[in-house]
Amino acid sequence: MDQATDNRCPATAGEAGGSLFSWQALGFTGFLLLVFVGVPVTFGRLPYFITVLTNAAVLSFISLGVWITFSIGRMNLAQGAFALVGGYVTAILATRYGISFWVCLPLSGLVSAVLGALIGWPMLRLKGVYFAMTTLSLTEAIRLLALNGGDVTKGATGIVNVPPPGTIWIFGRMVVPPFSSADPMPYYFLAAGMLALGLVAVWRLSNSRLGWVFRSLRQNEDLATSIGINVAKYRVMAFSLCCFMAGTGGAFFVAFQQNIYPSTYTVADSVNFLLYCFLGGLDYLFGPIVGAFLLVISFELLHAIQDYQALIYGALMIFCMLCLPNGILSLRLRRFDGRRNPKA
Amino acid sequence: MPILEVQGITKRYGGLIAVNNVSFSVEKGEIVAVIGPNGAGKSTLFKLVSSFVPPTSGKVVYNGQTITGLPPHEVARRGLVRTFQETTIFKEMTALQNVIVAHHLRCSASSLGIYFASPKARADEVSFRDRATEILDYLGLGAVKRLQARNLPHGHLRALGIAIAMAAEPKLLLLDEPFAGMNLEETDAAVEMVRGIRERGVTVVLVEHDMSAVMRISDKIIVLNFGLKIAEGAPAEIQRNDAVVEAYLGRPDDELGH
Amino acid sequence: MLLNGVVLAVNYALIALGITLIFSIMNILNFAHGQMFMIGGFVVYYLYGLFGVNYFASLVAVVAVLGVIGWCFEKFFFQRMRKMATREENSMLLAVGTALLLENLALSFFGEKQRGVPPVVSGVFKIGDAFLPAGRLLVMVLALVLIVGLLLFVQYTKLGRALRALAQDREVTYLMGVNVDRIAALGFALGAALAGLAGGLLMTVFGINSGVGTVYSIKAFIMIMIGGAGIVPGAILGAVVLGFAEAIGYALLPGSITYLLIFVGLIVFLLFRPQGLMGKPWG
Repeated sequence: MDQATDNRCPATAGEAGGSLFSWQALGFTGFLLLVFVGVPVTFGRLPYFITVLTNAAVLSFISLGVWITFSIGRMNLAQGAFALVGGYVTAILATRYGISFWVCLPLSGLVSAVLGALIGWPMLRLKGVYFAMTTLSLTEAIRLLALNGGDVTKGATGIVNVPPPGTIWIFGRMVVPPFSSADPMPYYFLAAGMLALGLVAVWRLSNSRLGWVFRSLRQNEDLATSIGINVAKYRVMAFSLCCFMAGTGGAFFVAFQQNIYPSTYTVADSVNFLLYCFLGGLDYLFGPIVGAFLLVISFELLHAIQDYQALIYGALMIFCMLCLPNGILSLRLRRFDGRRNPKA
Repeated sequence: MPILEVQGITKRYGGLIAVNNVSFSVEKGEIVAVIGPNGAGKSTLFKLVSSFVPPTSGKVVYNGQTITGLPPHEVARRGLVRTFQETTIFKEMTALQNVIVAHHLRCSASSLGIYFASPKARADEVSFRDRATEILDYLGLGAVKRLQARNLPHGHLRALGIAIAMAAEPKLLLLDEPFAGMNLEETDAAVEMVRGIRERGVTVVLVEHDMSAVMRISDKIIVLNFGLKIAEGAPAEIQRNDAVVEAYLGRPDDELGH
Repeated sequence: MLLNGVVLAVNYALIALGITLIFSIMNILNFAHGQMFMIGGFVVYYLYGLFGVNYFASLVAVVAVLGVIGWCFEKFFFQRMRKMATREENSMLLAVGTALLLENLALSFFGEKQRGVPPVVSGVFKIGDAFLPAGRLLVMVLALVLIVGLLLFVQYTKLGRALRALAQDREVTYLMGVNVDRIAALGFALGAALAGLAGGLLMTVFGINSGVGTVYSIKAFIMIMIGGAGIVPGAILGAVVLGFAEAIGYALLPGSITYLLIFVGLIVFLLFRPQGLMGKPWG
């Protein structure tokens, strides 16, 4: 972690303050310990709870992507669409061509990222509600595409019996044992690993000067253009990173659940990813993670209200916007300049 | 060779002609002002030159190359940088961060290099920080560089806007109404600032309402009315020009009505 | 086929006008518009379909119910949000939240079943070679009357003028002594009522279920993106384009491919004209 301290972008040094950084580093170390040691030891014998945590981990991984698009000032409602794309890529490659999951996982992310770049290039010219509307439509469009995909996607019957991730051999040694659908633990470790990697990657991104460029886009695209920033290039870059995370997340869930249907990700899922980000707090890297874990776990614990999950999500969203507009994490880190300027 | 040549540039919005066949040129090291009553097409001309909107016809030649049709960030890359009329800044960064980000063009590291903090990227960032500090000190913002930009007082905001533009190392700087809404004292300071920018070897083209400041500072003035260029010349000539007096100077309310 | 296009276009115009009204007045995109449409449909289902209330009286009830919902949304949610003056994303997400809430309330109360009602009028008209069921004709005529009524209302009444003023400049309207909050709430109520009326009309043709909300919201978005957001003629034009595209598509292609093509077309269209057909270029 000391190495990382040196790598801090000078733009953030001093301004962001060393205290914030070490708080983040401490938080991250604690997070790793909790995830890789604490949880397996505590809940190792509760496969059901491990499954829930696995869900939460990958959902927050996907939400982290949405968080990136927020950092360039776009509200992305297409995350479900790209998760669906990633999921189908893995499902098709694994069932038809018998390609190993370990190849499919990054490949799915890549396909989503490329598709995201292609679609994003025209779409990212739209701002605000226009972008939100178009991405929402895209989620629906991709669902329809999957539904009408004929033999490729198998339409509404979906693709079932996707094989679980297999063994990884390196120089004749078994590095990763084969997964089995009976034991959620390997999936949990994979999910936690993905989340940890994703966190480090996005943390580095947002603290590097790229993150500053992204934020400058959110604050004023015209001004960014005027100082020679290729706005189109950076927004596509941010968007395809976001899509990459959606794609790998979608691929994971296919292997985890062993099936995928056109309705696996709908508009409601795209909205949920946003909700996780907002509930946690958009200004904080841990925002989507806090939001996702909190919601997913509390709903699993409270079986009684599960039927009303979506209803409560809706109410929670309204409550959150009205009473906690900067997310849960803002309670801890409330800034001292209390009043925020309008439309800041 | 002039640094900037505008050749017969025209912009129509539907049936409306905002800028009609305007030509002029700017020599290296000059301060040139474009003036005219409200709705004369000044702002449109400004956007045309900086390539923020494409012209209907005509072209802009900068340093001997036609830049018409290039995306605006590419134009900025070549050294033609604009500021904005309103106080356009990155509000959620400090003044210093604003200017550091604005050094983007000088970046020699690739995106991946920035991401992994390659030695090149780190060297970039150190130099950006030094240069940003220098620019802020030069423009009198040294004391407030750690303030959030949105909390800066109004007068400082415009200076910050210029600091951001200066960070992109312009050869030709387009200033959009740099004196608007300033009192006499502030205008004096701003006039000095613009002169200082010229002393750094930057050619300045400004669009302005404030006649007195323009008369003091410009080497050449171009007057627009209803999208047409009606006069061009040294300040003294412009003051004597009948067409200009009629269109602009003769109606004092125009000067008030922003 | 073309007649179907006309029926769809007229009703879609009602939806698009409602969302445009809300968007232009409050600069809020009403994500719950489709859900309001759905609730309007259910009000008609229960009153007219189950309890045998007169169809037109049911439509009046739709206006009342949706009017109250819209009014409450504005009063209790969006007005508070505006006073807090946070970033734009917040009001968008608030709108998404209201959509989620309405949809799931409907799901809890109304169930998942597809509901229909007996035809309001029977008989078939023959126009040229085409047959037009009287029910569809009625729906079309009612929607047309409502649209004309709305346009006249906005153009010539005092309240309508206040709404237009608000859409143009909130500050100035406020300075003119208009009670901005009240007018905005009324505008929201009116927009919601239009969505509900469209639901009440179209459900006699297609039926209704709790899941259609998102579909109609998306349709509304497509229409205002085609026409240009916040522009009344644009909304009508968008409705005409979408209505005919849908009618032609459904006649020639299997079900959901039509929408897939519409989406693809929309994205390509936005590539060339991001501001819509009648919108002004931004910036």
